[in-house]
Amino acid sequence: MRSIRRQLLVWLLAGLSVAIVGAAIGTYLRARDEANALFDYQLKEMAASLTDAPFAGVPPAASNVAPGPDTLVVQIWDRNGVQLFMSQPRRVLPQHAQLGFTTISTESGEWRIFSTLSGGQVVQVAQPMSARRELAASLALHTIVPLLAVLPFLVILIWYTIARGLSPLDRLAADVARRSPKLLEPLAEANLPREVQPLIHALNGLFERLGNALAAQRSFIADAAHELRTPLTAVHLQAQLAERAGNETERKAALSELKGGLERATRLSEQLLALAREEPGVPDRPLVRVDLASIARGVVADAVALATAKGIDLGADANGEVSVRGDANALTTLISNLVDNAIRYTPAPGRVDVIVRPERAHAVLEVRDTGVGISVNDRPRVFDRFYRAAAAQATVAHGSGLGLAIVKRIAERHGTDVELAAGIDGVGLGVTIRFPLAESA
Amino acid sequence: MRILLAEDDPMIGASVRRGLAQDGFTVDWVPDGRAAELALSERVHDALLLDLGLPRKTGLEVLTAMRRAGDARPVLILTARDAIGDRVAGLDAGADDYLVKPFALDELAARLRALLRRRSGRADPVIAYGEIELNPATREVRKNGELVALSAREFALLEALLTRPGAIQSRAQLEDKLYGWNDAVESNAVEVHIHALRKKLGADLIRNVRGVGWMAAKPDIAA
Repeated sequence: MRSIRRQLLVWLLAGLSVAIVGAAIGTYLRARDEANALFDYQLKEMAASLTDAPFAGVPPAASNVAPGPDTLVVQIWDRNGVQLFMSQPRRVLPQHAQLGFTTISTESGEWRIFSTLSGGQVVQVAQPMSARRELAASLALHTIVPLLAVLPFLVILIWYTIARGLSPLDRLAADVARRSPKLLEPLAEANLPREVQPLIHALNGLFERLGNALAAQRSFIADAAHELRTPLTAVHLQAQLAERAGNETERKAALSELKGGLERATRLSEQLLALAREEPGVPDRPLVRVDLASIARGVVADAVALATAKGIDLGADANGEVSVRGDANALTTLISNLVDNAIRYTPAPGRVDVIVRPERAHAVLEVRDTGVGISVNDRPRVFDRFYRAAAAQATVAHGSGLGLAIVKRIAERHGTDVELAAGIDGVGLGVTIRFPLAESA
Repeated sequence: MRILLAEDDPMIGASVRRGLAQDGFTVDWVPDGRAAELALSERVHDALLLDLGLPRKTGLEVLTAMRRAGDARPVLILTARDAIGDRVAGLDAGADDYLVKPFALDELAARLRALLRRRSGRADPVIAYGEIELNPATREVRKNGELVALSAREFALLEALLTRPGAIQSRAQLEDKLYGWNDAVESNAVEVHIHALRKKLGADLIRNVRGVGWMAAKPDIAA
């Protein structure tokens, strides 16, 4: 696993090392330049002091001092090239023709030489370059030694600082670990470094969305349990009546009512399941190209028997292929909910039309009836689950109050909305849903 | 005993009504809170079975208004909500008892009988009246310990008279006890049933006050 602390430490130490090496090199170079200038001046002064004194055949043996490594080597010649003086017989440097400063390479390393002509004599003062380099190196070393000595302390300091800087992350982790589905309060932003704030914001946003989804789910379950209790109570009572029945006729009547109660409870649980499938948070099934017109024709074909039994003229006006991007199962549920509703809330003799037609960029689905309709006041609320309009309650006793909620959820998943208006000839209800038309394959 | 049932669910309403009828209660059924208030104002019911989740006016509102108006008739709450808060609110608003759905019809009938008994100030479920004993739970009437067979209406009439001994009740009052809204009232039905009761239980038991009504004579008078 990558560790921020180790990474920071490695990079900081690498940077520091480069800086120290750079400082050493810089110091060395500058010290060398200064040493050059200083020693060149020294050579020049030395040569100048020697030119005033004429030499005449001083025996070289007179001087037998052992030369040090940085010793100056002084040589004097007359104009005929006869050597008049040499400070160190063991270090013999050639007479250099060029006057002024030169640097030459010999077997004993590089030498800096200054020659000058004065009073018929050539004075040459030489010094090994190594002397200058050693001085520069020693200066550079003096500069970096303290830095190197501080390095271990710096490592400790950096280690500690990083630990300190990262400690809010540990606290944050503990804080997040304390969160549970029951406790999704936002994390405190106070006392946290700016770098961590985006993470906090993102986490708090996530907690909020999660909390809302959980609350929606909880209220759905609570509502569902509450709504299921009514039909189950009815079934419970109907079963008791069947049990009490004294004769065959009574028992038959009671069992028939019990069957009605069971059908109602079954339908409610099916509707709840359909709604649960459309609840936010459930993974969506993919939307594919489906023929809305053929789905509508199928739903109408399935519902004709029910409609005829109720004395209602059910018909489809959905010709050809009208393709939308959708979930065929969900769209079947949507249309059959609308058609079921229309049949339920339309008294005989009545009429229910299911229309699917393309209209510019839309596939328009319309289900219109001659039923009781929904008053303008009720229209915004009929999509709430378990809400039943007064007219609906008066017409059909056992509605689940879920049909339109399911329709709306499915419509929303298909990126559209449900419009409510008056139905056929201004009577009853007309439901219109405009789906985006699928681009032709 | 005539009971008002306020329940919006038609299946539950129909079942409760039929079940209580089998237990000898006369039940009138209203589907919402306003209709319940209207029915209560007739003052013909002995008790109210009240669903809390009523449309138009909630059960709790009906109950509160009823108690504020000084109506002390027993109220039994039927609720789908089993939250303790709802039950406490119901009881605090003046309900006498509650049942959480789903419930057993037998339990509902038993609780209703207990409420009616308490209201008439009796602890003993069996109404003893001289040599006659009437048991509302079993719907049995005994004279000197011997079972007397009575029709449902005869029993209801006897129960109405014995629950308030010594009080004169008019024909209309007695008819109210015997018939729900949907029952056709037969003319002279009260006279016919009283005649039958006198025949089965003794002529002295029920006294007619001409032009006013009938009463169960005090036991010491009857004996």
